[in-house]
Parts: sequence; C-alpha cells; structure tokens
Amino acid sequence: MSSQDSPVSLVKQSYVRSFQIFKSAPLVFIPFILFISFEYLSFIILSLAPRVPLVAVLGPPIRTLWGEKFLHYPFNFLLLPKIVSNARMGLTILIGSLLTGMAVAIIFDIYKNKHINLAKCFNVAIKKYLSLFTVVLIFTLGYYVFTKILTVSLAKYFVAGHERLLFLSAKVWIGPIFIILNFVVAVLLQALFIYAIPGIIIDNKNLFKAIGNSIVFFLKKFIATLILVGLPMLLYIPIIILNANKLFLINKFFPEFILFVVGISIIIGSLIIDPLIIMSTTLLYLGHKKSQDR
Amino acid sequence: MKKLFILIILVGFCFSLASCTADQYSIEREYWRAQRLTDKIFKNPHASPPKELQAAVDKLQKFINKYPNNNLSLKAEFTIPRLFIVKEDYIRGRDYLTKLAAKYKTDKLIASEALYLFGNTYEIEGNWNEALRKYNLIIKDYPVTIRGLGMPIYIAEHYKVKNQTAQMNSAFNEAAIHYKVLAVRHPDTPLGLNAYSLAVRCYLELQDWINAVKTIDTIIVNYKDTVKIDTLFIDKARIYKDKLKDNDKAKESLQQLIKIYPESRFVNYSKKLLEELSGVSNKDE
Repeated sequence: MSSQDSPVSLVKQSYVRSFQIFKSAPLVFIPFILFISFEYLSFIILSLAPRVPLVAVLGPPIRTLWGEKFLHYPFNFLLLPKIVSNARMGLTILIGSLLTGMAVAIIFDIYKNKHINLAKCFNVAIKKYLSLFTVVLIFTLGYYVFTKILTVSLAKYFVAGHERLLFLSAKVWIGPIFIILNFVVAVLLQALFIYAIPGIIIDNKNLFKAIGNSIVFFLKKFIATLILVGLPMLLYIPIIILNANKLFLINKFFPEFILFVVGISIIIGSLIIDPLIIMSTTLLYLGHKKSQDR
Repeated sequence: MKKLFILIILVGFCFSLASCTADQYSIEREYWRAQRLTDKIFKNPHASPPKELQAAVDKLQKFINKYPNNNLSLKAEFTIPRLFIVKEDYIRGRDYLTKLAAKYKTDKLIASEALYLFGNTYEIEGNWNEALRKYNLIIKDYPVTIRGLGMPIYIAEHYKVKNQTAQMNSAFNEAAIHYKVLAVRHPDTPLGLNAYSLAVRCYLELQDWINAVKTIDTIIVNYKDTVKIDTLFIDKARIYKDKLKDNDKAKESLQQLIKIYPESRFVNYSKKLLEELSGVSNKDE
C-alpha cells in the first residue's frame, strides 16, 4: 500500500476535492437545498400540529400514538423532535433517495468536467428511482428496527427489576450508552450502503449488485469510509445531547427553544453532514474506479 | 425547480399564518407565561419581592379578564389566592377567596374549593378552631362534592398527625356516621358506594373490626350486582384472619369471592389463602 492509498491520505484527498467542488460548483447543493425545503415544510406543519386548522388532521394520530397531552402547550415541544425525526425518515426514503441520486449524478458530471445540467441529472435519478428508493428504505428501516429493538430490550430488561447490565446502571444504559450505540450503528449502516447509490447512478448496476458491491467496497476501504461517514456525523452529537435534555431546556429557557434546536439540527443534518458524506464518499468511489480503469 | 421552491415557501408561509390565530393552544401559551411568573414565587416565596407578587397577580388577572370562560382562567383564579397564602398575606388571600366564592356560588365544586382554601389560611396561621369552622361548613353545605366527601377524614387525620387520640377517635366516629348517613341518602349510586367505602376506612382507623366487616357486608349486599367489588371480599377475609382470628369466616369470604367472581384476578390469590387457612385449621385440629 503506497502512502497515497493510506486511509488518512484517502480521507484527506476526498475532503480537499470535496471542498474545492463545493466552492467552485455550488449547484451541487441544489438537491440538498430542495430536500431541506421539504424538511422545513414538514417541520412547520408538525410544529403547528396542535393548532387550528392542522389539529383536525394531525391531532387524532398524535393523540392515539403518544397521548392527548402532546397536543397542548408546552408538552408538544417534548414530542416535536421525535415526530420531526420520524418525518425526516419518511422524507429520506421518498424524496431523499431521489435527490441523493441526483446529487451523485451532479458530482459525477463535475468529476468528468462536464457541464452541469440539473434537469439531466434529475432524469438520471428518476429513471433509477425504484432502486434508489429500495436502498434507502433498507438502510432507514434497518436503523429504525435496531433503535426500536434496543429501546424495547433495555426497557424490558430494567423494568423486569434488573439494576445493572454489564456492571452499568439503567441511567448509564438509557443515557450515554444508548446514544453511543445509536451513533455507531447509524455510522456502520450508512457506511455499508453508502456506495450503493454511486453504483446505481454511475455504474448502472442493478439493486442487488449495487448493494453487494457497496459492502465489498466498504470492507476494502473500511477505515477511510468509516472516517468519511463518521466524522461529519460527529457534528450531530451536540444536537443529540440537546434533544436528550429537552425538559431542562424548556424549563431553563422557554419551550420555543426546542424549535431552534430542531431548526439547527435540520440545517446541520441536511446541509452540512449529508452533502459532505455523499460528496466525499462518491469522490472516493470515483477515485478508486479511476485507478482501477488505469 | 424554481416553481417548486416557491410552492414550498408559499405552503410554509400559509401554515405559519396559522400560528397567528387565537385558539386554545395560544391561550395555553399565554397561561404558561403567566404561570412561569408564579412558579418563581412558589419556589421561593420569602425571597421574592412584593412587586414580583404584584406582577404575577396582574398577569393572572389580565388572563382571567381576557378569557373569562376558559378552564385555565379557573386555575388562574385559584392561583392568585394561593400566591397570597404562600406570601403569608392571609387577609388579601381571604378577600380574594370571598369574592371567588361569591362569583361561583352556584357551582358547588368551585365554591367548596374556595371555602377549603379559606379554611387552609386559618390552619396555616395556626388558628385551628376557625379552620375547623370553615371545614365543617364544607361538610354541611357541600357534602357531595369531592372536597366535601374528603373533609371529615381530613379533620380526623389532622388530630392523628397531632397525636390527639381522643379527638381523632371522636372525629373518625363522627366521620363514619356521616358517611353511612350519606350512603343511605344516595342508595345505588357511585356516591353511596364511595361513602360506604370511606366509612369502612374510618372503622379501620378506629380498629373497630366488627363495624368495618358489617359495613363491608352492607356494601356487598347493596352493590354486588352492579359493581365489581371483588377486593372487598379479600379485605373482609384479611380482617377475619388477621384481626378477628376467625378463620372460618375468612374462608367463607374467600369462597364467596370465587363463587361470585370466578373470572376475578384475585381468584388464584384467594385459593392460595384458602390453602393456607386450611393448613392452619388442620394444624389446630
């Protein structure tokens, strides 16, 4: 392995090239801006769920799933981050998959020094929507199922009367360990599937081949991929901590402070973390492809 | 693409306009802001300056005037005298409560709460006789309100806490009689059942096991066909077993439970208790 192929060097090269592209071709942000627009729209709608006229539509599901009190001030702010996050999951599967495909197509055009044609890139993605949708669905559902199983298992274990698990108390498990495990699984799952979208868009691979290829490529570039996916996601940790302390924030400041936290989390998630991960990993994928072609 | 952006922004703007309407949610928000001022005083009444009290009262008063028919206004109405009480300004607290009782004189629930708080001001001041006068007024004028029902036991509990055994016994005795009279006056109603249950509680406090069991029997006779009262059979069995040392009667009660409520979640427990009692009886023989 030459020094240029070392994980750190690969990460460095990917980041340098990513920032160059962000600077020289800001059009690459268009799919992400479009996604964040949808996300903000859902955020506005959900934050107004307890109010007339939206309460007539959104009130019954909230009442049934979480309880009446979350339709009242200030308790609705305790639920808001959770329902916004659920909405993000849905949006990611339905729209995010398509827009990520479009972003990869744009990055590929930039990489090939082609003129960026947004409509063409969108068309490329829409033709492969079903595959893109399925990849994101598998990844998102995988993460959702994991968090559900972890939450239910921990709750059942500690409600059954056990005081400790592996020498650690319930407070530690439900607090920091739960957050760390969620983070690690999110990074691992995303890293496993991250090259499937470039495979579908750039190499015209079918769904299963793209997923298989993504896993193989991830294992080949294990450290570099983990850094490229995990490092930007570290930016999200302060938001996770703030979300875990919603009640404290409401009492210390005011309930609407949660709107600020959710608003910032959307910007960090969709306008910083997502573009950085998709850009850097796609460039790593393209770089590897180029070296193989040679 | 541009059109899509404009559409998203427009939809977002339209929904944001909804936050300008005055609905229940916006009233709740206004109440929460007023309540936040009061929280500071409740947390540290001695350190809060008089102007803070005035600001909180003014804010609550403004809220009450703005939304006179809202449920939260009623909460605010009671918060104001409570603020005066924690600030030990009993005279203003009583003044407010007198007006409140007059305002809601037709609503027995609210009037009884106001009177109870009125009595509280004397109790906190250490004037038990005056407080007792108010509490007795609640029992007399509002006997079937939640506060009115709880009052006789509240009075007896006061003597219990103060270790005044004679007064406590007398208060529990009076309470038991009061509850039984209430129950007779309201037969076959949830209130009647509740009153009998409170009477049982008084007899248990007095350690008058015979009357406790007799009252339980009255409940069983009057309510077994309309309300699920399986727990009372367990209570009765326990009194016979532990207090009156009459295992036969205890067994009889448990057997009745199994017969009347074969689906009850207490059936297994009753069977175990029956086995235990049979074991004791065999040993005795």
